[in-house]
Amino acid sequence: METAIATITTFLAASVRMAAPLTIAGIGEACSERTGVINIGLEAIMLLGAFCGFMVTFWTASSGLGMLAGAGGGMLVALLHGVLSVKCRANQNIVGLALNFLVLGLTSFLFLKAFGQSTVLPTCATVPTRAIPLLSRLPILGKAIFNQNIFVYIMLILVVGVSALFYKTEWGVNMTAVGEHPRAADTAGLNVFRVRYMACALNGLLGGLAGTYVTLAQLGFFMEDVTAGKGYMALVAVILGRRDPLRIMLASLLIGFAEAMQFQLQTMGIPVPSQVFSTIPYVAAVFALLFSIGKSRDPAALGVPYERARR
Amino acid sequence: MKKGLTLLLAVVLLAGALGGCGQTPAGDAKMRVALILSGPANDQGWNATALEGLKAAEREFDIETAYMENVDIAANEAAYRDYAAQGYDLVIGHGFQFGEPAAKVSGDFPAVCFMATEAASQSDNMASYVMSCEEGAYLMGMLCASMSNTGVIGVVGGFEQPSITKELEAFKLGAREAAPNIQVLEIYINSYIDATLGKEAAMSMVRQNADVLYHVANQAGTGVIAAAQESGILVCGNSYDQNSIAPENIMCSTVYNMPKVITTAVSKAKDGVFEGGVYYLGMADGVVDIADYHGFADKIPQAIQDAVAAKREAIIKGEFKVPLIETPTR
Repeated sequence: METAIATITTFLAASVRMAAPLTIAGIGEACSERTGVINIGLEAIMLLGAFCGFMVTFWTASSGLGMLAGAGGGMLVALLHGVLSVKCRANQNIVGLALNFLVLGLTSFLFLKAFGQSTVLPTCATVPTRAIPLLSRLPILGKAIFNQNIFVYIMLILVVGVSALFYKTEWGVNMTAVGEHPRAADTAGLNVFRVRYMACALNGLLGGLAGTYVTLAQLGFFMEDVTAGKGYMALVAVILGRRDPLRIMLASLLIGFAEAMQFQLQTMGIPVPSQVFSTIPYVAAVFALLFSIGKSRDPAALGVPYERARR
Repeated sequence: MKKGLTLLLAVVLLAGALGGCGQTPAGDAKMRVALILSGPANDQGWNATALEGLKAAEREFDIETAYMENVDIAANEAAYRDYAAQGYDLVIGHGFQFGEPAAKVSGDFPAVCFMATEAASQSDNMASYVMSCEEGAYLMGMLCASMSNTGVIGVVGGFEQPSITKELEAFKLGAREAAPNIQVLEIYINSYIDATLGKEAAMSMVRQNADVLYHVANQAGTGVIAAAQESGILVCGNSYDQNSIAPENIMCSTVYNMPKVITTAVSKAKDGVFEGGVYYLGMADGVVDIADYHGFADKIPQAIQDAVAAKREAIIKGEFKVPLIETPTR
């Protein structure tokens, strides 16, 4: 019994660790999508966040400054996407895709310029684990959730905070209005462009922060393509979670759990090719999507640029 | 059109050339060697070491060289054909996937030497040069198992493919030789680049009491080292001396001397003794080895160091042959 509880606890903790970057980035993307801007450049946002976060932490030895820099880097990418899709009315998916490639090349290039070609890997200290007094002593959940690093706590605060923003504040209503019917929102006196830019900035901030999680909390170093597709998994979590913060976290936990599961299964020495296990997280995501068919509805103006002077 | 012309010209020239593969070109014309890479040359790993080898051969043998980066699988054959048609004497493809195309093209250019690293193909004038990485992995298995207090160790592999599997399997054999009751956990993460995946795989091993780890996962393996660092346990590196990444945790690394593989092939071609076949280069050839223990030199008990050193000697002298197992056993 005791070992079972210990196993469940460590399992949950691993799931939470893997879910944190997906949730944080996913909540940012949900903000953006609710106002009608779909940004599949989430991978780019996270990667630049991861890069800027690492570089600043490496130079200043302060992970706090690193996190700020990462959030700033992410915001830069998201606002570039915002300007191109809101002001220039470009195809949002194409812009997002282009940004993914651009940032992949850019970060690799800058990293090479900064440290040159060598086998010595530049590293920085990772952010420490901090137990929350009292709460961390709860059975199972205490260890899995309240004995983690600062990013996990940020994730929890975001789930509550952004849910309140969406459902309890006028800003949340404005965001939905802009995403569902921008003309009506405009007629009612809302500045559609400003709301969308704000949402893009928030998306960049959170996505960048999620990127710094990879370099500052998980690894303590940067390397080419360090985010390795986590931005895409976050997009899946957003769709699975239907742009609701709590559901996004649950979807991320499902993906994280499947990942933790596949490692556990592999070490048990079952004679099945390892590739089968590696597909588990994706199979889980596809199944969850299958069962949520018909329940999801996109914002009416998702991906549609708004033009004031046209009717 | 231009390519067609070059091809035609090359065929005419080749028809005129009498010497077979491997003969030094007549007169004072320099020997020409070309290298084909599947990725960017400055990847600080796989491709970078091959280019290093080409540069080393250039210095050593007074040859003319050229290389092509980012050649994807579909273009492998064309790349070989291009260089052969341009009159290169030796064309090298770096990686398993270059084997088949090289063997195929070699029939059309009997006067040119073709080579692929880590491949399994051959013809009269096409050879595969394979690094016996399993020899290093066997020693790492011995070392890891000997240093474990919990009786559980772990190894993280990149993709489940022969060049990785042979290392994992040799690691397990080495571990069992040193400690017959050792439990070896193994995970293939199916990625060479995702370091976070490598780290979580390693963490799941730590959860199951593993206290010494090894990786064969290139860039993604750096995550395994990060996990060892965070958990304060021992780990062995791979490909090059990784000690500088985590001096407190990395006991030793397996080291592959890819430049030596390239220079060996070039020297054979230069001397006119290049022949088709599949060649294994290991510790005895100075291609595979284990790195220095650095700060662990006085932390690893002398008896363990001696056992590893003795096995290394035996491998070099040919008294012990590390089994080559290319399909996973579970």
